[in-house]
Amino acid sequence: MSEVTRILDSIAQGDRKAAEELLPIVYEELRRLAAQKLSREKPGQTLQATALVHEAWLRLVDESFRYSSSRQFFLVAAEAMRRILVENARRKQSLKHGGHLQRVDAAHVEIVCPLPDDQLLMVDEALDRLATANPRAAEVVKLRFFAGLTEAQVAEHQGVSVATVQRTWVFARTWLFTEIQRDQNSAAGVSGNPPKSRI
Amino acid sequence: MNDEQDRLMDLFNEARAKGSDAERSAYLDAECSGDAALRRQVEALLEAHTRLGDFLKPPGDEALPSEGPGTVIGSYKLLEPIGEGGFGVVFMAEQLQPIHRKVAVKVIKPGMDTKQVIARFEAERQALALLEHPNIAKILDAGATESGRPYMVMELVHGVPITQFCDANDLTTEERLKLFLTVCEAVQHAHQKGIIHRDLKPSNILVTLHDCKPVPKVIDFGTAKALQQPLTEKTLFTAYGKLIGTPTYMSPEQAELSGLDVDTRADIYALGVLLYELLTGTTPFEAERLRSAAFDDMMRIIRQEEPPKPSTRVSTLGKRGIEVARRRQLDVVMLRRMLRGGSGLDRDEGAGERPRAALRDGQLAAAGHLAPPRTPSGGGWSAGADVPDAEVRVAAPDGGGAGRERDAGAGGGIDRLADRLS
Repeated sequence: MSEVTRILDSIAQGDRKAAEELLPIVYEELRRLAAQKLSREKPGQTLQATALVHEAWLRLVDESFRYSSSRQFFLVAAEAMRRILVENARRKQSLKHGGHLQRVDAAHVEIVCPLPDDQLLMVDEALDRLATANPRAAEVVKLRFFAGLTEAQVAEHQGVSVATVQRTWVFARTWLFTEIQRDQNSAAGVSGNPPKSRI
Repeated sequence: MNDEQDRLMDLFNEARAKGSDAERSAYLDAECSGDAALRRQVEALLEAHTRLGDFLKPPGDEALPSEGPGTVIGSYKLLEPIGEGGFGVVFMAEQLQPIHRKVAVKVIKPGMDTKQVIARFEAERQALALLEHPNIAKILDAGATESGRPYMVMELVHGVPITQFCDANDLTTEERLKLFLTVCEAVQHAHQKGIIHRDLKPSNILVTLHDCKPVPKVIDFGTAKALQQPLTEKTLFTAYGKLIGTPTYMSPEQAELSGLDVDTRADIYALGVLLYELLTGTTPFEAERLRSAAFDDMMRIIRQEEPPKPSTRVSTLGKRGIEVARRRQLDVVMLRRMLRGGSGLDRDEGAGERPRAALRDGQLAAAGHLAPPRTPSGGGWSAGADVPDAEVRVAAPDGGGAGRERDAGAGGGIDRLADRLS
């Protein structure tokens, strides 16, 4: 049994601390996979975040456990991917704002994120607020956006109908959208610029 | 989730579903009376929703088809969704011209190359037009919707999947075999016209009642080929979980990724799996196991593993299996050997020789020897033991060696099986 499978098993048995153990492992695996792929691919290739998550799943979890433990795994993997994307965005932003120009090492790989960096960082913050107000909606966003699960898969994980997932998903996206818009407007207000409307 | 959030989400979704601004406004008036703050929140969300666009949509995510009830495609008006598969959504629809009737329209999801799908369909259209069989649903038309998605129009069949029908009506083994035979005849008809289904499975074989008589109908002939696309590793990632629709019914040669074209034997194999399922209530390889296996493992299982004998399979189902066996008076010794196609692999030289000879003897794709069931002696059957001696022999299609037995075709053993049943 792989280590990850063992931890997933403990989580399933109700060991909450086990999830904390799992995060760094999945996080490292995602980065390692990304670096490995990038060194093999032709220059200019980019990596899909959700494809990486699925590959990590296939590599880390024993076949016989894949079905029963996928919920815990994808929640943790979504969180790990979220951190990687946020770190990448932060790093790029600091480089852009007059940071020193350095050769980017292999661990800092380019993973495609469908959002511009500044928006990703705002989504990251707003998602924490959503997790407090509406944990289930936040979970849908994590599983859909960072782990790339389909609506049907999320429905299976949460034990609800696909229609419920669709309703929650639209609501969560709209909710985050309004939050980000408010952030942008208030940022623009402070610096005296006209409000941007570019989302 | 707290109640306030719950309520906000409900109001947002309900209001969003209203057909007009007036209706929406009236709805919110009624629901939010006295709570101006709540109403402002809902309205802010509704306003934001109109500008949402693709915000947060995962890359490569398939948007739900914008075609929905009420949409008119060509001369067809979509009525209601009646099914959803890996490739698209099937709607009941009204054909408006040249004749007025109800049809089924399959709208393909985005991501398929519309031009290629339609080109492949056109290439087969002539052949499809020759399919004239009471147990095959007709393919009527194909084209592209305004949003560029391919669609196909089929005869509308009101029915339930054959396995479901058999179980819901508690059909006996004999009745099941009779239905199965009709399906074989339909498939044989298509094969003689040079058309392979490629995706035979219970949900593509619907049973309807005509004058109280069950009539199976094979649907989706010709669509699988048009939709065929090479399986690559990429497919695994973009469509994980539904990558090839139904590996349970996939023949070994289809599980080879070498891109060799499949022939009629693929359908025969699928029919064999169907027969297995009709008789034992379960498929040779557990769908769950295939689903949870990694892509390569799954392909390996289909290509190399020997499926368990139906009797073994039934006995491993524990109580349920015994129940199935008893109720259907199923005394299956063998329904065997969906051997690996192509490679010439045959690891059943010993014990299997006799049954195989019997099989060859009949040149059977499906052969049955029916006899009255034997009552088990000695206080019933214990789970784990093989179902005792049997006089029913049902042979599944065989792809052994160069597939010589499956070469016999869907109709090969029909006459003989039919004789036994009549």
